Amino acid sequence: MVRLKNRYLLINILYPSDANPTNPATALPDVVQFRQPSSDALTAQLLTRMVREGVAELFGDYGAGMVAGSLVVKYLSPATSTAIIRVARAHYRLVWAALTCTTQLPRPVAQSCVVQVVRVSGTIRKAEEEAIRRARASVLRARRAAGGDGLGVEALLGGEGVGTGDGGEDKTMEGIESEDEEE
Amino acid sequence: MFYDLNVPWSIKEPDLQRTLAFLSELGYGVVALTYTLSGKLPADLTSPIPTTLPFPTPSKLNVLRRCTLILSDPSQNHRISSLAATYDILAIRPTDERTLQQACQSLDCDIISLDLTQRLGYHFKFKMLSQAIERGVRFEICYAPGVTATDSGARRNLISNATQLIRATRGRGLVISSEAKKALGCRGPWDVVNLAAVWGLGQERGREAVSKEARSVVVTAQIKRTSFRGVVDVVYGGEKPDSTKKEARVKNGLGKRTADAISNGTDSAVEGSKPISKRQKKKLDHEAQMAAKKASTSESTNLLGTVPPREASTAG
Repeated sequence: MVRLKNRYLLINILYPSDANPTNPATALPDVVQFRQPSSDALTAQLLTRMVREGVAELFGDYGAGMVAGSLVVKYLSPATSTAIIRVARAHYRLVWAALTCTTQLPRPVAQSCVVQVVRVSGTIRKAEEEAIRRARASVLRARRAAGGDGLGVEALLGGEGVGTGDGGEDKTMEGIESEDEEE
Repeated sequence: MFYDLNVPWSIKEPDLQRTLAFLSELGYGVVALTYTLSGKLPADLTSPIPTTLPFPTPSKLNVLRRCTLILSDPSQNHRISSLAATYDILAIRPTDERTLQQACQSLDCDIISLDLTQRLGYHFKFKMLSQAIERGVRFEICYAPGVTATDSGARRNLISNATQLIRATRGRGLVISSEAKKALGCRGPWDVVNLAAVWGLGQERGREAVSKEARSVVVTAQIKRTSFRGVVDVVYGGEKPDSTKKEARVKNGLGKRTADAISNGTDSAVEGSKPISKRQKKKLDHEAQMAAKKASTSESTNLLGTVPPREASTAG
């Protein structure tokens, strides 16, 4: 019996457009703004539906049929706007392309967004580790972005967060960020 | 380092700052702001994009200026060389096959950027495109109009034309950029690579299209503008020699005069003691010899001239 080969896509949902534009003095730093938490209405079912519809729109019935058997949202964290999607290895590019062509979350949320695939991995463990690493890095970055003007970012990120905001650690993380994705 | 060489620029663009911040967040390192020129060129070709933008940009982001010239009439003089000098990158957007041919063969640009959301009434030929690629001109695929398109027609055309372009260029000499009017149209570099992979461009080629090929466009464009004949560029010319000492000397009234004296002295010395070359010496010797000979012969003729009367007189 040959084992089923899967790919786990770690995705970030980014929000580039300002939902409620405020005056620039009190606005959040861009880093925080782009990686804001998703609404609680976004559930795993909703995300699955979005992906399935996206694949169907881009690749038609063929693509939808190919992907349907293996497509599962394994993990979704609205707080960090992160999700892990499982899909058969043979067709992960279809799902990835459909995610790339997404511009809006489905109906009850209906927020314009950009989905970025940050890691393609063969095991869910690696995807998980990457998710934790990235969440930590983005907190550090947000802290640094807010460092100068001292907005209420501390409260937004849950008070005393992870690690200290020193530059060294963040720099190594930036270095890893640009490496190749696992094939 | 990833490159996005096409971000449209206009004077009234409140969203641009956000777009640049978002591109930086996605992982791009170099971004080119594009100003589009079409029809008849204005008399004043200076770039309307300021060198320092009126808002803060991410510190890691390098912002370049690019001009896209829409080419509709092949006979028109576009003053491309003067246009190229005012921007970092010059792109050309041909509208039909004739202008595409002209752009491929002769026009001195950096990028050929076709509008792939339109239905093109012709096929790409490898022969024509390879001429451009051999000259170092790259072809551009802009993904944002297809990604954000509300009607499927634009997306369909983009996919069709992009695959045609990939087929005709055999995957070489392609650059992928966004042309996103809003931050919503931008995608991460790896998402773009995957999109290109779905369209038939290999993973490695796709990666080169957002990094290596785009970098080569930027670097060749820069070297074309700043260097000597596109070959030699002075990267670091060294520091200027310390001029303060010299000035002090001149003020004392010593410096220059002594230098003059020395130079004069050495000059004369050199002239005086200049050794004569062998050839020169030979020539001089020869001349002297000839002169001596001439003198002697004239003397002898003189003698001869004077002697005969005497002889005659003696004879007579």
